[in-house]
Amino acid sequence: MYVEEVLALTMFLALALLLFSGYPVAFVLPGVALGFGAIGMMLGHFSAIEYYNIVLRAWGGAASNLLLVAVPMFIYMGIMLERSGVAENLLSTMQILLGRVRGGLAMAVTVMGTILAASTGIIGASVVMMGILALSPMLKRGYQIELSVGTIAASATLGILIPPSIMLVIMGDLLSISVGDLFLGAVFPGLLLSGLYILYIGILSYARPELAPLMPKEELQIPLGTLVRQVVRTLLPPLFLIVIVLGSIFLGWATPTEAAGVGAFGSVLLAWFNRRLNRETVVDVTHRTAKITAMVFMIVVGATAFSYVFRSLGGEDVIERALLGLPFGSWGILFVLMGVVFLLGFFFDWIEITLIVLPVFGPIVGKLDFGPMFATVGDQTLWFAMLVAINLQTSFLTPPFGFALFYLKGVSPPNVRLDHLYRGIIPFVVLQLIGLAIVILFPELVTWFPKMALGRG
Amino acid sequence: MGRALPRPGTGARRLIVQLLGALSARLDGISGSIGRAAAWLAIPIIAIVIVDVVTRRFLTIGSVTLQELEWHLHAVLFLFCAAYAYIDDAHVRVDIFRARLGAIPRAWIELIGAALFLTPYSIVMVYLGTQFVVDSYLLNEVSDAPGGLPYRYVIKSALPIGFMLLALQGLSTVAKQILIIRGEEEKGGDDVR
Repeated sequence: MYVEEVLALTMFLALALLLFSGYPVAFVLPGVALGFGAIGMMLGHFSAIEYYNIVLRAWGGAASNLLLVAVPMFIYMGIMLERSGVAENLLSTMQILLGRVRGGLAMAVTVMGTILAASTGIIGASVVMMGILALSPMLKRGYQIELSVGTIAASATLGILIPPSIMLVIMGDLLSISVGDLFLGAVFPGLLLSGLYILYIGILSYARPELAPLMPKEELQIPLGTLVRQVVRTLLPPLFLIVIVLGSIFLGWATPTEAAGVGAFGSVLLAWFNRRLNRETVVDVTHRTAKITAMVFMIVVGATAFSYVFRSLGGEDVIERALLGLPFGSWGILFVLMGVVFLLGFFFDWIEITLIVLPVFGPIVGKLDFGPMFATVGDQTLWFAMLVAINLQTSFLTPPFGFALFYLKGVSPPNVRLDHLYRGIIPFVVLQLIGLAIVILFPELVTWFPKMALGRG
Repeated sequence: MGRALPRPGTGARRLIVQLLGALSARLDGISGSIGRAAAWLAIPIIAIVIVDVVTRRFLTIGSVTLQELEWHLHAVLFLFCAAYAYIDDAHVRVDIFRARLGAIPRAWIELIGAALFLTPYSIVMVYLGTQFVVDSYLLNEVSDAPGGLPYRYVIKSALPIGFMLLALQGLSTVAKQILIIRGEEEKGGDDVR
């Protein structure tokens, strides 16, 4: 190894350690970049002029990038939906619809999480919202604590996977694949996962009815007319919004950015429809959107700085050579990559992982060969991106550091202990791994839908 | 720096404490107002997207102009809100260990982070960003797309301005943490920034 390669690897290590200080990721990344750039200069492997390229790249990658304008639009849509009262209404309606089924309430929570996945992967926000809304009704009805928290944590994190998701927008940008394809490709894997949850809840509550008591009969005695009206009023508007956003991409009418803008506008209409649109809501949604947008894009800029210096010091070559040199073949390397993402997921958020790791892994995946499974390299990259996405969703759930678990603990009553959360989430992590295995074995789940939609089949 | 400040109760110490407090309050006020104002750019972005989508089929206002306007506004939004997001602690942290620390160790982390990472980075970005704007101005750079917006240096100047706010925020943070470490500010816990 050359000096600069040692330097590059030290840089990666330094980043990992310094991130644990708890100082904002958006500033640790470029701080490490500047520091190691300076060391590189002293050793003659880097020149000060190169810092200017960071500005050029940050500008081109984060600012003058029309695709990424979708990110604040989807964030706006998600937060507005959260404030629009859609979630509460959804839960009460689904609860009645599924009330006669064993485990119905848990299934209702899963369906709610799937529909609210439009709340775009601000994981903290969706876990907190679903925890507040769903946990106490479940516990009050006598659902087992483990089952309740597991269902909520898993369903609430579907948002980063099920489109529209800002994670998929950023992944598409990084891997240079169509965000439309990614959105459409994520539909079936997402539904597969929520289907697996529902199946598991169904089987478990049939086998052990004491874990998931039926709802009292009198709560289900609602005149059919009222029920239909309630379903139409609460279920249709959010579904309509999702269909518009995804449908316009599906039909090729709108770019993801345009669909996001339309979705943001639609969420405002929805809040108005539910009589939740007032001054306070608009101010709150606008401020929170701006802060989350700034947070995301400062990490994009910081990661650009880090990646630039890292690449300039030859770090990417070292990693690529090391990985491609592994004697496991393409499948083995894929598993190593997935393992790395999974391990990083114990400690880091999806933003850091996608922005730091994908630019390094992306080109490697393009060089792997899975035989006749994929028609094009593009299909293969799309599939890989989806595997990473599922993997990252899982990482929110894995003890001991799953983010979703901490957020949920934060809004739980004191009798819900961390070990309830750990035990409750394990079956769902197993379901995630089953889902991941299915998607690995059947890439058509990912690649078929975008092809069909855009008439490229 | 531990012993550099005069003993409690003396006039000089009071003065320094007041100065640091006033400095950070003033800087927070500036970043906060600019950020809260820039946040509203989300609304025109949504409106422009809608106008673009609706009119494209019927009129030719020029999608290129509208789309450039979208990212122009977006760039201003996130650059001008970066410092504001820091005041409100919206930047993601790897919180596993920090969550277990007391107010003083946290203040030290924040102080060192602001002094070693945030401020130098922001100053470098201001310096190079200004270069970036000047280059654009001297080239008389305009959009390379037909129908694109002129005066590219205007939008590019959002970059050094945004990082200038961040650099000042770094100063404000350092001032605030000194007060916390010296026990002059009771605020601790999650409010440490």
